[in-house]
Order: sequence, then C-alpha cells, then structure tokens
Amino acid sequence: MNAKVKRRIESLSLNLLALLLIVFIVGPLVWVAVASIQGENELLRQPPRIIPHNPTLDNYNYVFTGKIPTAYEVKGQLRSRISQEARLIPQALKNSFIVATSVMIVNLIIGSVAAYTFARKRFPGKEAMLNFILGSRLLPVMAVAIPYYVIIQTMGLLDTHLSLILVYLALTLPFTIWFLTSYFKGIPVDFEEAAQIDGCNTLQALTRVVVPMALPGLVAAAAFAFMTSYNEFLFARFLTQSIDSQTGPVIIASIAGNPDASYTLISVAITLGLIPPLVLAIILRRRLTEGLSTSITFR
Amino acid sequence: MAHVQLGASIRRRLKLGRQAYPYLSVIPVLLVVALFAIYPILHAVRMSFFKYLLTRPNDHPFVGLGNFIEVITSYYFKNSLEVTAVYTLAAVSGVILYGLGVALLLNTTIRLARPLKVVILLPWALPAVVSGLLWKWILNADFGILNGLLMALGLIDSYIPFLADPTLAKASLIMAFIWKEGPLVTIFFLAGLQLIPDEYYEAAKIDGGGAWTIFRYVKAPLLRPVFLIVIVYETMAAILTFDTIFVMTGGGPADSTALISWFAYAEIFKGLNLGHGIALAILIAAITLGLIVFYLRALRSEDAAA
Repeated sequence: MNAKVKRRIESLSLNLLALLLIVFIVGPLVWVAVASIQGENELLRQPPRIIPHNPTLDNYNYVFTGKIPTAYEVKGQLRSRISQEARLIPQALKNSFIVATSVMIVNLIIGSVAAYTFARKRFPGKEAMLNFILGSRLLPVMAVAIPYYVIIQTMGLLDTHLSLILVYLALTLPFTIWFLTSYFKGIPVDFEEAAQIDGCNTLQALTRVVVPMALPGLVAAAAFAFMTSYNEFLFARFLTQSIDSQTGPVIIASIAGNPDASYTLISVAITLGLIPPLVLAIILRRRLTEGLSTSITFR
Repeated sequence: MAHVQLGASIRRRLKLGRQAYPYLSVIPVLLVVALFAIYPILHAVRMSFFKYLLTRPNDHPFVGLGNFIEVITSYYFKNSLEVTAVYTLAAVSGVILYGLGVALLLNTTIRLARPLKVVILLPWALPAVVSGLLWKWILNADFGILNGLLMALGLIDSYIPFLADPTLAKASLIMAFIWKEGPLVTIFFLAGLQLIPDEYYEAAKIDGGGAWTIFRYVKAPLLRPVFLIVIVYETMAAILTFDTIFVMTGGGPADSTALISWFAYAEIFKGLNLGHGIALAILIAAITLGLIVFYLRALRSEDAAA
C-alpha cells in the first residue's frame, strides 16, 4: 500500500515536471503567435493579455497587402511605428526557401554519391580527403567571413541566391558526408554485392539498393541541410544587399533591430518565419531523432 | 574476331572507369569544400599580418604580428575572454544538466513523456536569430510577458529590465542557449540511454539499487562517450555564439555579453579594422582547435582504458 502511494506521488511529480518543460519549450512559440494577432494598442499593456480580447488578422493583412491595421489609426502618434520592412517578409521567406531547397537537393546528390564512395571503396588518398572535408568545418565562420565575401565578389555573385547556395553547400556538405558515410557503413554489404554480381555498377548499386535502404538517413541529412541553410544568419547578412536575395533571418533581424519597430509586426515576421522549420520538425520528428541518434551510435 | 577486340577494349575501359570512379565521385564535394576552405584560410592568415582599415582602403602596411599584439593587449580582449569563459562554462554545464534531465524523463513510462517527445525538437529547428528575438520579446523591460507574469504572481514589485543588467543579461543569453541547444543534447543522451540493455537495470535492481545508484553506477559510466561528444560540440557552439547576441544584447550592457566572437565581429563591422578582426578570429580558431584536440585525447584514452 505504502509503496503504491509512493509510486503515485513519484509519477505525479514527474508528470508535473514534464508539463513544466512542455510549457518552457512551447510557451515562447505560443506567445509570439498570440502577440501577432493582437493590435499594437492591446499588446503594449502592463501586464500583457495572454488571451487577446480583440484578436485580429490586421497585422498579417498589412504584411501581405499593405493595408494599415486599424489599431494604428486609433492612436495617431503610433503611426510611425509601423515597420515598412515587415512587408518584405513574404519575399524574404521565399528567398530562404529557394536557397535552402537548392542546397538540400545538391547536398543529397553529390553528398550521397561521395559518402557512398567513402563508406565502401578503398583507394589511395581516401583518409586525407575525408579528414580535409570534415576538418574544413573547424574554422570559425568569423575568420573566413571576409575571404568568403572576396570570393563571392570576384565571382560576380554578390546579392544572388547562387552565392548563398554555394556558401551553404560548403557549410553543410561536411556534415552530410560524415553523417551519410557512417550511415551507409551501417548497412549490410551483402545486398550490394548481390546486385553487383547481377551486373549493376557502383552507381546503380547505390541508387537501386542502398538508397531505398538508407532512406531514413537520407531524409535526416536532407532536413539538416535544409534547416542549416534556412536558419543561417551571418553570411546571409553580408553576402546579400537587397530583397532580391535577402533571407528570412536577415529581414527579421533587421526589422527587430529598428528601435522604432512595431512589436506586433515583429511578432508576425517571427511567426511566419517559424512555420517552415516547425512543420518540418514535426513531420520529420521520427526521422530526425533517428538520424541524430544514428550519428552518435556510429561514432 | 572484331567482336573479341571490342570486348577487350570495353573491359579495359571498364577497368579504368572502376579505378577512376572513387575520385570522380568525390570531386564535386572536394571542389566546393576546397574553394571555401583553402583560399579563405590563406587569405585570412595573410590579412592578419597587414593593417587593414576600411576607412583607409588603399593603405595596407605590413605590420607583422602587430595586429595580434594590439588585440591581445587591449582591454576588450581580456574582458571578452572572461565573458566567454564564464558564459561557456555556465551554458555548457546548464545545457548538459537540462538535456540529461529531459532525456532521463523521456526514458520513463510517464504519460506526458510522449507529448514532451513531440515538442522537444522544436527549438532546435528554429533560426537562432528567431529564438533570440523570442526571448528578447518575452524579457522586454516594459511590455514583456515574463515581467507581467512575475508581477501577477506577486513575485516582483516593479518590472525588471533583464537585458539592461550585466548579470541578468548574461543569464538571459545562457537561458536562450539552453532552450535552443537543449533538444540536441537531449536526443544524444536519449540515444545513449536506449543503447543500455535492460538486463543491466534488472541486475542493479536485484542487487537492491535505488534510482540514484542505478544512475550513478549503471547509466553515467555507460553514457561517458555521449558526455564527451556533447561537451565538445556544445563548447564549440557556446564559444561561437553570435546570432543570439546580435539580436538580444548587442554585446552590452557595458560589454558584459561581448563574447570573443562578438568582439571579432565588432572589430570588423563596427571598428572597420579588418586586420584586428581577422587576428582575433584566428585566435578563436586556435582556442577551439586546442579544445578539440584536448577532448579527442581524452576520448582516445577513454577507448584505450575500456
């Protein structure tokens, strides 16, 4: 009896702890979404309302159509706080999406072909190449920021999607190679040998036999490449100059960096920027967890 | 006859192809990585020996180790080293305790473990810029919800300007780091925990071990490799923290959050002194490399001992 009560209390307190953690993790995301559907006059209260009295989509309407939210008209003096830059958000997120998707696709193609070679072939120079690729990421980005700028400028690629795609490929490929090499190594070699006896060459063995078996690893690698590119800030900030190529984080930081910025519009920008990675994280949760776990198991 | 010759030539070409294949298949990756690794390093090292002021674009005298000496002897370097050390120590130990705790919780059978598992990855997926802004907004001194909540609960008498106080600003950055990096650490520990066979727990239980004993003598020793990997990774992440500082504190107040990578950024983009900035960046690279070598040694002696 006593033991049963003790176990009940234990389970109750652990559940309470888990609940607190869930609030800690999700709370900030919920709060910014709530803030984005309030009027500026309602949001700027002490204390703020957790449940808005007059929820409104005006802020989103402004970002997408340019119609000034009514909440600003009520208080004339607040008009200057409307951040015009907020209207750039849809285009910036589109840029992010184009860049991240391109990086992801190229990563998968050249990354998996190379990783398969590193996992299965023996050839002179292999260790050196692998170490070079992995070691390249040990450089702090700040050290190479200026040389990167010089390279991109020399290639005439400043302020283009292509510049970001190239730089992000260099940032993500080492991880993809490391991750996929260990993933491929974990797949039994028998099936490929059978395929090669049946007359498949290396590339065919990879695409027909290994890829279907390594799908979880490939999905995880793709998602990592996408997220790294979608979320990167430092290089995006100084390789881009206009909305032709500026990405989500650049525009969001620039809106928020304005001391006169409107909090509701910042919240809208953040909420819109949150959606793609959150959707990806929720859909691919199992694969990502599996992928991360594998990367450590294969150490 | 012609048939046979054709066969031989194809076979020869196939053999050549088979030898060349490994190189051909890794060349695209090598090219991209080399383009953004070899030249940038050489360029950076070269620049660090010259005086590069953006305000004087055509005048680059050679100064030898001048940049390094000026940077190392400046007040900001000493300050940023201290700030980085305190921040890194607190952030890494904080994120490890948090991640380990969450992983242990997720490894139980309690009801809320499942929903927690669903949301745990979310902060990791976000841009650091965005998570920094989320916290900045929550901690806002005038309209922040944390101040509102603390006030409503009667815990404070007046709003606290979290990001305007040197100690609180540092603590806020550390909390944002833990929130953002916690998921990865959790997943790593969880993976490690799930590798431990159930029989080990059974055996410990039969021997009469409580939860703490099992953790101390069964889980912790078996998690050692995970600890090392997480420490290496998170130490690098903490030392190189930049995005959240950029949006949350801008290095302030009074340089209390001016980590060494922020110092490098400020030298380059605010002081417009490229030589200084790059000299600093090279010092950062040396520090992180030193740490990695240290950890790898530890890891290897670990393997040897096992």
